[in-house]
Amino acid sequence: MDFYGALQVALPEAFLAVSALALLVLGAVTAARGAILVSVLAGVALLVAAVLAAVGPLGTAFSGGLVADNASAFAKVAIYAMSAVAVLLGAGWLERLKARQFEYPVLILLAAIGMGIMASSGDLISLYIGVELQSLALYVLAAFRRDDAKASEAGLKYFVLGALSSGLLLYGASLIYGFAGSVKFVDIAATVHAGAGTGVLFGLVFLICGLAFKVSAAPFHMWTPDVYEGAPTPVVAFFGAAPKLAAMVLFARALADAFSGAADQWRQVVIIIALASMLLGAFAGLVQKNLKRLWAYSSIANVGYALVGLSAGTREGYQSMLVFMVLYMIDVTGFFACLAALNRNGKPMETIDDMAGLMRERPGMALAMTAFAVSAIGFPPFSGFWAKFFVFKAILAAGYVQHALPVGLAVSVAVVGLVSSVVAAFYYLRLIKVMWFDPAPGAVDAAPADAKGIAYAAALFSFPVVMVGLPLLYPLAGVAAAAFGLG
Amino acid sequence: MTPQLIVTVLVLAPLLGAIVAGLFGRRIGNVASQAVTTGLLFLACALAWTTFASVIWGGWGHFTVELAPFINVGAFHSDWAIRIDSLSAVMLIVVTSVSALVHLYSWGYMADDDSRPRFFAYLSLFTFAMLALVTAADFMQLFFGWEGVGLASYLLIGFWYKKPTASAAAIKAFVVNRVGDFGFALGIMTTFWMFGSVRFADIFPAVAAHAGQTWTFAGHYWAAMDLACSLLFVGAMGKSAQFFLHTWLPDAMEGPTPVSALIHAATMVTAGVYMVCLLSPMFEYAPVARQIVTGVGAVTALFAATVGLAQNDIKRVIAYSTCSQLGYMFIAAGVGAYQGAMFHLFTHAFFKALLFLGAGSVIMGMHHEQDMRNMGALWKKLPITYVVMLIGTIAITGVGLPGLELGFAGFYSKDAIIDAAFAAGSHNNSTAYFAFVISVIAAGLTSFYSWRLIFMTFHGHAKWGAAAATHGVHGDAEPSHDAHAHDDHAHDDHGHGHDHTPHESPWVMLLPLLALAVGAVFAGKVFVEQFVGEGRAEFWRGAIFNGASNHVLDNLHVLPAWVVWAPLTVTAIGFVLAWYVYIAKEGMGAAIAARRGPLWTFLYNKWFFDELYDATFVRGAKALGDLFWKGGDQRLIDGLGPNGVAAVSALIGRRTGKMQTGYVYHYAFVMLLGVAGLLSFALYAWSK
Amino acid sequence: MTIGLAHYLAVAAILFTIGVFGIFVNRKNVIIILMSIELILLAVNINLVSFSVYLHQVVGQIFAMFVLTVAAAEAAVGLAILVTFFRNRGDIAVDDVNMMKG
Repeated sequence: MDFYGALQVALPEAFLAVSALALLVLGAVTAARGAILVSVLAGVALLVAAVLAAVGPLGTAFSGGLVADNASAFAKVAIYAMSAVAVLLGAGWLERLKARQFEYPVLILLAAIGMGIMASSGDLISLYIGVELQSLALYVLAAFRRDDAKASEAGLKYFVLGALSSGLLLYGASLIYGFAGSVKFVDIAATVHAGAGTGVLFGLVFLICGLAFKVSAAPFHMWTPDVYEGAPTPVVAFFGAAPKLAAMVLFARALADAFSGAADQWRQVVIIIALASMLLGAFAGLVQKNLKRLWAYSSIANVGYALVGLSAGTREGYQSMLVFMVLYMIDVTGFFACLAALNRNGKPMETIDDMAGLMRERPGMALAMTAFAVSAIGFPPFSGFWAKFFVFKAILAAGYVQHALPVGLAVSVAVVGLVSSVVAAFYYLRLIKVMWFDPAPGAVDAAPADAKGIAYAAALFSFPVVMVGLPLLYPLAGVAAAAFGLG
Repeated sequence: MTPQLIVTVLVLAPLLGAIVAGLFGRRIGNVASQAVTTGLLFLACALAWTTFASVIWGGWGHFTVELAPFINVGAFHSDWAIRIDSLSAVMLIVVTSVSALVHLYSWGYMADDDSRPRFFAYLSLFTFAMLALVTAADFMQLFFGWEGVGLASYLLIGFWYKKPTASAAAIKAFVVNRVGDFGFALGIMTTFWMFGSVRFADIFPAVAAHAGQTWTFAGHYWAAMDLACSLLFVGAMGKSAQFFLHTWLPDAMEGPTPVSALIHAATMVTAGVYMVCLLSPMFEYAPVARQIVTGVGAVTALFAATVGLAQNDIKRVIAYSTCSQLGYMFIAAGVGAYQGAMFHLFTHAFFKALLFLGAGSVIMGMHHEQDMRNMGALWKKLPITYVVMLIGTIAITGVGLPGLELGFAGFYSKDAIIDAAFAAGSHNNSTAYFAFVISVIAAGLTSFYSWRLIFMTFHGHAKWGAAAATHGVHGDAEPSHDAHAHDDHAHDDHGHGHDHTPHESPWVMLLPLLALAVGAVFAGKVFVEQFVGEGRAEFWRGAIFNGASNHVLDNLHVLPAWVVWAPLTVTAIGFVLAWYVYIAKEGMGAAIAARRGPLWTFLYNKWFFDELYDATFVRGAKALGDLFWKGGDQRLIDGLGPNGVAAVSALIGRRTGKMQTGYVYHYAFVMLLGVAGLLSFALYAWSK
Repeated sequence: MTIGLAHYLAVAAILFTIGVFGIFVNRKNVIIILMSIELILLAVNINLVSFSVYLHQVVGQIFAMFVLTVAAAEAAVGLAILVTFFRNRGDIAVDDVNMMKG
């Protein structure tokens, strides 16, 4: 394939890269005056990139380094759309802070490029480049409020641990390269099918560890609560959504495209990670008082559920994982939009106790947050229920129908998942109880329109729009899942 | 309109009213809700009389309308149906007439209440459930109606739910009825076990074939029919407030007075009697069960009449009177004179509803005073109420001349029962003879307490307002410091003017009274031939079954003269005694009460039944409940189950929280442990 | 003795381990953590280059070039974050990075 054809395949990312650089220049020239303009243009660029990803040609580029297929198109549309939402949320937030920093949308654009590359990586190099591009932008975003001690600590912790995980991932990549003889997933898959040596599997474990960090799965989750608590709320809204999906898709792609021949081996590792994540997220959340920390543990548990879908190793499992992540992204973005919108006397409301009496003060926001909490419990017919439903259905089907794993194992995984969601229901219900029944300590400031709009839209999606959206989303995810090179 | 359509509309009209007033009452307003429910009830009443006339004298005959299937499981079939025969037709007119008049009466009585739509919705709901009960074609619908009227009764007793005594009374009624319903349900199950069906149309023709069936239990042979009928009668005891299960009825007077008139006098409490009459084909083959029915009825008649002697609350006196009259009805049913039971049910509905509504008129006129000791000399202030109450009292005491066959309604029906008891008793049936004696004594007691009510309320010195101050007569000593004050001060809980002069009630309340008074005078004379006389075969047309050896009603005309005249005699004695104690020597009743003699205390405290039940069942159940709740549930199940798990979960949560130290090197260390652990696991698992 | 692939891999593994240990054994200074990260990346580079030579491929060395570039960027970002942290707290001791926990 010639360079022109390769560019066409990589057009969304190329377009975003050019946009990011142009906007950087524009921002530097116009300084604070142009911050809003840069935000708007960044949002438009992300939406254009989403359209390009959706309609662009399928194929591979740069000697197989980049792959554009249905899976990457599906993931990129979701990623870019959620990034655009994050730009909108952040722009309003910065405006209210009187800190018109044009770097914010540009950083999100750069992270989005990284995520795009992750979603369509075809070899270990693009995998690493995508992960690093995304991570470096996220480190900076976490510490974006330079004058805030908590934010800079969050950035530092995230950076140090992220760099460590990148090192693990890279070390694994180097081992895989050495023992499989190639960086391309296609070649690796051929080698693994012929019989994977210990060196390759060793490298695979390192790779899985690195990726598990990026999706914040236990035991590589330690950064999550601290970073969620310290980072600015709109940034957390972004952290919680698109990067998780991108890392999940990369996880799925690496395991399916390169290691489908060793599915029985990696499935066990992924199941351990999934179980640990679900249980840890459920139990550690019980004692949390800060809502951002609480939702960090909630995200750990939810990633556990998504990994259950992944560990099924079947097309249905991948499909359920994609559906789960999309539904979860919308819920989590909406929840953090609520948090970003809520202030009491100018102070952000971040603890559960702060939410006391919200139902009387701001019934709209309280209803939206109730919807997210109910959805997170997995209560039908809210979106969270369907997300979990498909995941558990997939793992059980993998055991009973496809015989991909022992039935007992599949059932145990589903049971642990159910138990942990029952445990986790406690903290969601407590939030609802505090909002609805506890007396309010004071007036809540009016919510800004942008955050409120995002919150309401997400709440309406979680129910009832999901009932309409799901029949569209589920088959699309099926088409996307079919693109993964499962054996 | 076809008969089927007419009866369907008749049954469903009150339901429609209940739905409209219940769901949209707040929206359409008080007057509209009242108008809708009352209008539909009068429609139902008109249709009921049409149905009655057409069934008895027209060419409708007996028929059943099947509306919809209800339950179809295996051999168990049940339909929503409307069964029309002479028996249900009688009940239809009783229920709809009294209900329509009570609806109308409530316009006046409930005029000050804030939640009138709710009240009228409940009344109509009750009427619908009662109609479903009386038109049931199988046990399932009978049970449904049974529970439906129980529910409506519960809702209406507790209508003023903010009043603790009303809520307590509602709960008591509900719980006591559950005891009866348990027996009833067992009876239905036994019947189904015997006949393989719950439909009356399947069961009744097969009764003779199953008559000798026995059931072995604990080494004994039990007659299955007796067992089934006895269990069913337990249900009737609960609903009709018979001895042992009667305690809820006096307390039910906490409800608004129209409710007492409709549910706790004329209709719901007679459901037990109706059931026994309906199931006459079964009871005819259950001699032991019938002995039980007779005995319980007789004891109730005496017991309630004695307790009625000592009560001071005007509604409670009438409540015990109801209890006693229901006992009469069961005596009749027990000795085989089902027609007599139905006849007394029919006439009793008129004069008892009349008495209750009259009492309501008095209570309203006295500004929600219910204690008769604070009344007196009211006849000048409430002349119309006085007249109708007088008519009701004459009717209930059964005044009439046996020689001329001329008298008020109660005369025909009550004397028929007393005569039937004697007729049955003279045929070597000692229980029936016992019932005869009791019923004569109770007739005297009835006369005494009924006239006592009239005298204390309407005659003597006024003990209210300014009159009380000048005369200085206070009736019984220290009424408000009475140990049983909670019994006597069941005031209706809504505001009223501060003018404390008694006043006559509005016409909307007096009209129903007058209508009922007409019934109380003439219902007996007009229908006596049809119900129990020569025309009864043509009237009932098989709706009530009398066994081949059952000639009770045929023997009524060949009784000795002393039996015929006995009721009138004791009634007269009761009247004279009451006159002597409460008019001639006014203050004698109060003096007797003040002495607190053992007999008076025994009667005043209702034979100590509430205390007995409290000491045994209530405390016992509570102790048992505490044992299971505190010992079993809280300590064992909660401690090891939910609470234990919750505690462990919280502990795990705290431990994991502590692991999150905040130090980067700890985090990195955990990550590395994770890598090492996963690597070890992988090497171990994959080397296999 | 000839220096073979295994020796290079061993050196890389040792360097990697030192780097990883440097992150969590060091309790003093965040700068040392940055250095440890560099060490890890360099260990990986040794791996990549030696594999590249061993496999007679150029891909590994290209990979190494990418890693070097990213490492530079990473160091820049890390130092920038460290500067903001220092401005806020006036210290870069590892034990002080402990505001948030639980």
